[in-house]
Amino acid sequence: MPLIAVLLALVAVAFFVLPLIGLLQRAPWSDVWDDLSTPAARDAMKLSLVCSLWATGLSILFGVPLAYVLARAEFPGRSLVRALVVLPMVLPPVVGGVALLYAFSVNNGLVGGWLHDTFDIQLTFSTSGAVLAETFVAMPFLVITVEAGLRLMDRRYEDAAATLGANRWTVFRRVTLPLIGPSLFAGAALAWARALGEFGATLTFAGNIQGRTQTMPLAIYLLLESQQGTAIVLSLVLLAVSIIVLVALRDRWFGAVRES
Amino acid sequence: MRKFLRRFAVLTVVGVLVAALAASTAVAEAPAAKKAPKLSGSITVSAAASLTEVFAKMGADFQKLNKGTTIAFNYAASSALATQIQGGAPADVFASADGANTQKVVASGQVTADPIDFTANKLTIVVKKGNPKSVKSLADLPKLGVVSLCAAAVPCGKYATQMLAQDGVTIPTDKITLGQDVKTTLTAVQSGDADAALVYATDAKAAGTTITEVKIPASLNVLAVYPIAPIASSQNAKLADAWIAYVISPAGQKTLAQFGFLPVPTT
Repeated sequence: MPLIAVLLALVAVAFFVLPLIGLLQRAPWSDVWDDLSTPAARDAMKLSLVCSLWATGLSILFGVPLAYVLARAEFPGRSLVRALVVLPMVLPPVVGGVALLYAFSVNNGLVGGWLHDTFDIQLTFSTSGAVLAETFVAMPFLVITVEAGLRLMDRRYEDAAATLGANRWTVFRRVTLPLIGPSLFAGAALAWARALGEFGATLTFAGNIQGRTQTMPLAIYLLLESQQGTAIVLSLVLLAVSIIVLVALRDRWFGAVRES
Repeated sequence: MRKFLRRFAVLTVVGVLVAALAASTAVAEAPAAKKAPKLSGSITVSAAASLTEVFAKMGADFQKLNKGTTIAFNYAASSALATQIQGGAPADVFASADGANTQKVVASGQVTADPIDFTANKLTIVVKKGNPKSVKSLADLPKLGVVSLCAAAVPCGKYATQMLAQDGVTIPTDKITLGQDVKTTLTAVQSGDADAALVYATDAKAAGTTITEVKIPASLNVLAVYPIAPIASSQNAKLADAWIAYVISPAGQKTLAQFGFLPVPTT
């Protein structure tokens, strides 16, 4: 191993480790519980949990069929659809928020006014809006992970089930779904983690209302100026969650990378 | 004796030459010294978000008067700027929308000169263009769907909280969206779906016809006083001082008035 590579690698590792140490050494360990019990922190944690789970649920509900269509159906413009689906992964979230705003704003959105007048639904500055913003950035992770799982699986099992008389729904439920289970789990976990960390689109589209749209990242950003301790403790909670997701995925996600 | 005379002559000639030289440079320097020391280089002015429009104009005017200088601006909430400066962000001048955030950087030793109050502002209600919810006063705000306020640490948020408390108006927390500076707070009404926002009168003026302003009478209002101060670590203190001098000069005050800012109250 050339020495220069080792040295540069060490710099890179230090670059990732230093910020973590920086965060940990500023943590007000003795006041952790007090900081977590402030109304702002509790509201933010509760809201983050609710919104991110909703976003994950919606991602599964719509994302699995989308992945299925992308993996199995042959239709013109499929790569265009896939590009559109993946776009939110590379798009700056704040741009996503602005785009959502001009689609769903009651005031000047493409369909927002109609939704409001017809169904009395207002997505901006509402918890549903926060869920929508999180789903927008999170669903692509689920779709591409599940699609990859569908492409890698051995389709002969499905064929065998079909020749034995199972209808399409039974095949999907009893054969396909269990086979792509690990991908679905990995995709859902990634989508959930992404939803939990959503900041830009939520702030732009849903605003910053305590208990309604102020999720943990928004609370952290806002409290950094007034209640630094709470902001740091909330950051630590998100850091811990990220580590848990990473540990939970280490075999399923990184295992898949190793195999392929 | 001859030696002495020669030496005397040489000295005289040298003396005359030196005197002449000194006189000529004095003549050359006199107008420049009278005008102002020659300014050059660049500075960064960390300014409250509410100063965005007026400082942009004043910066352009200042650079026209002082060719070769560059005034760069860093606009954000004064509270965010104070945190940035305390964290060592490069800044030469700090213009805050309140005294508290200036005192923060004074306390941490980054400002050693006395801050100067240079302008003042008041709060106002902005609603959607045409005032569809017919908001007439502060008392109408709790009845609306979503009200946009600045966050508590941001001066405009602090002033709004103070004003609402003094006027006995309580807006439920779950109806308040918090902006990280006054411009974001205004944008929530301008392009978002918030029904009303409490911002500075100057921001309502700058937003023009994109919104409708509902004025708050002086008796119910609060006065925001803006201090300006040089940052001690500035690499170009001369230009920083010149900028501050320009802001408090009659020309600077005239521009501030044009943008709707108020004179500093004399106490």
